[in-house]
Amino acid sequence: MRKALDFLYDAAGYLAAFFVLGIFVLMIAQTVLRETGMKSGGMDDLVAWFCAASAFLAMAHTFRYGDFVRVTLLIERLGERGRRIQEAGALGIAAAFTGYLAWWASKYVYESWQYKEMSTGLLVVPIWIPQLSFTIGALLLFVAVVDQLVMVMRGAKPTYVQLMEERHARGDYSEDM
Amino acid sequence: MSLIEIAGILLAFMFALLAGGVWIALTLAIVGLACFTFFTGTPPGKNLFSAFWGSTSSWTLAALPMFIWMGEILFRTRLSREMFDGLAPWLNRIPGRLMHVNILGCGIFGSVSGSSAATCATVSKVALPELMKRGYDEKMALGSLATAGTLGILIPPSITMVVYAVAADASIIRIFLAGFIPGFILMVLFSGYIAVWAVMNPDKTPPPGPSMSFVEKVKASGNLIPVTLLIVFIVWVLVKGIASATECAAYGVLGSLAIAWWGGSLTWRNFWESLMSATRVSCMIMIILAGASYLSLAMGFTGIPRALAEWVAAMQLSPYMLIGVLAILYIVLGTALDGISMIVLTSAVVLPMIQKAGFDLVWFGIFIVLMVEIAEVTPPVGFNLFVLQNMTGRDSNYIARASIPFFAMLVVTIAIITAFPQVVTWLPDVVMGREK
Repeated sequence: MRKALDFLYDAAGYLAAFFVLGIFVLMIAQTVLRETGMKSGGMDDLVAWFCAASAFLAMAHTFRYGDFVRVTLLIERLGERGRRIQEAGALGIAAAFTGYLAWWASKYVYESWQYKEMSTGLLVVPIWIPQLSFTIGALLLFVAVVDQLVMVMRGAKPTYVQLMEERHARGDYSEDM
Repeated sequence: MSLIEIAGILLAFMFALLAGGVWIALTLAIVGLACFTFFTGTPPGKNLFSAFWGSTSSWTLAALPMFIWMGEILFRTRLSREMFDGLAPWLNRIPGRLMHVNILGCGIFGSVSGSSAATCATVSKVALPELMKRGYDEKMALGSLATAGTLGILIPPSITMVVYAVAADASIIRIFLAGFIPGFILMVLFSGYIAVWAVMNPDKTPPPGPSMSFVEKVKASGNLIPVTLLIVFIVWVLVKGIASATECAAYGVLGSLAIAWWGGSLTWRNFWESLMSATRVSCMIMIILAGASYLSLAMGFTGIPRALAEWVAAMQLSPYMLIGVLAILYIVLGTALDGISMIVLTSAVVLPMIQKAGFDLVWFGIFIVLMVEIAEVTPPVGFNLFVLQNMTGRDSNYIARASIPFFAMLVVTIAIITAFPQVVTWLPDVVMGREK
């Protein structure tokens, strides 16, 4: 179970990285096509969808990695017990919200599939196809948050704190903005 | 309940969530959700979907992962070593000598990177141990590195500017162009301070290294040619206006990959790590933007930003006073928040205010970037301080104290751009024509 979940988060993260790579390839291809006089109109839409997919699919992985920023000024001063209550509270709130987000991301995309809604740009495809990245990403984030909540309830240190501490101990601040 | 009271309640709610350690992106969206549910008659769910989808599926925003990736690739090259070796021979005779490597190095790396912490880390990696070995003053070295590192977000490309441009719905290229001259002024001020300090404290600067002939100097700088070409390319693309910011970013990635390949550091491992790292950082920023766009949408429905803007306008503050008040607000926020969050958190409310008071959005973008730079070196939360604390083991408060003179130069720059706004708006106006 543990391994299966971790694999799922990371797999979605790798997929997101491929979409970042995809943006790069498409942007270069677009300028080359334009120079040679070929049409590249639909590519703008594709780049926009890739951008969304890279963000949504990476959410669970990024969250678990400890890269989602938050204000740690106050919570770092709490004792061990206080810190656990705080983490449980924050994760509880996050779980409620990401659950709501996942619900809407699913409901809305399901409806657009049902009514065969099409995209409005130059590239006409059923809009649920690109929007599926949002649904999958939001569901995975919800699962990841609940996963961490369960961990904290059982008395373990959340993964996002652990991984961030390890990184900072190595002197790696490259991902802190 | 008046709109101002509602705004107060929402603000208190937001601070409670933030203080409790709820992730910033989620906090913004949760406050937006509360705002929709309790203070508007509009259904929150569909708007949540469209705000998240609409703000992330954006062609303009695709520049963000590209610029971040570019910096991540260069961070993993030998660039920091080459910069030190290439710059040092030229600085032997100037008062302050190699200390200027910190400023020039940060300026150069800032021209290819959009992040302040990455610039600070990259330049410090080699410059700091080299300066210490040669007996330069530690306090001066730390202060200049911490503060000059923030040039990464003032000199384009800049991740902070992309975020601001998206939040303010302003042109990315225009804001990039606006950053060049203030960035240059800031570099002159930093280097000027170092030179004056060196003249006043002659015993604290070690003797010059062995002098080199001109040809030797040029040879030592040879490794800097690729990065110089990349900078020239980026500036040329921006000034000529032949490509959009997103295309410019993609070619920046291509150029960085070429530099990494040239220097022999383009391994699969580095490639993959830089890509994953860029994916995570850009995901984090884009989700914050999505949360902020949902909150802005909710605020728009309530009419709070307009009411606040009118409320501030009714106080009849002079423009300078308004800027002064905002500067204090951002310094306070900057002690606890990172720059990106600071911008998106305030944009929904502050931007209408600023426009009503007659300020230019591009000018305000540079102002806010300078405020973010200050935030990076103010304790307790300042990422450049953390970077150097980690590299030296010195306490972050010590580094913050060492940065005070350079911090003052940032304040001087803010004063300059406020007194002479043309410094900011001249270049974008010349290149792209005046904005209507």
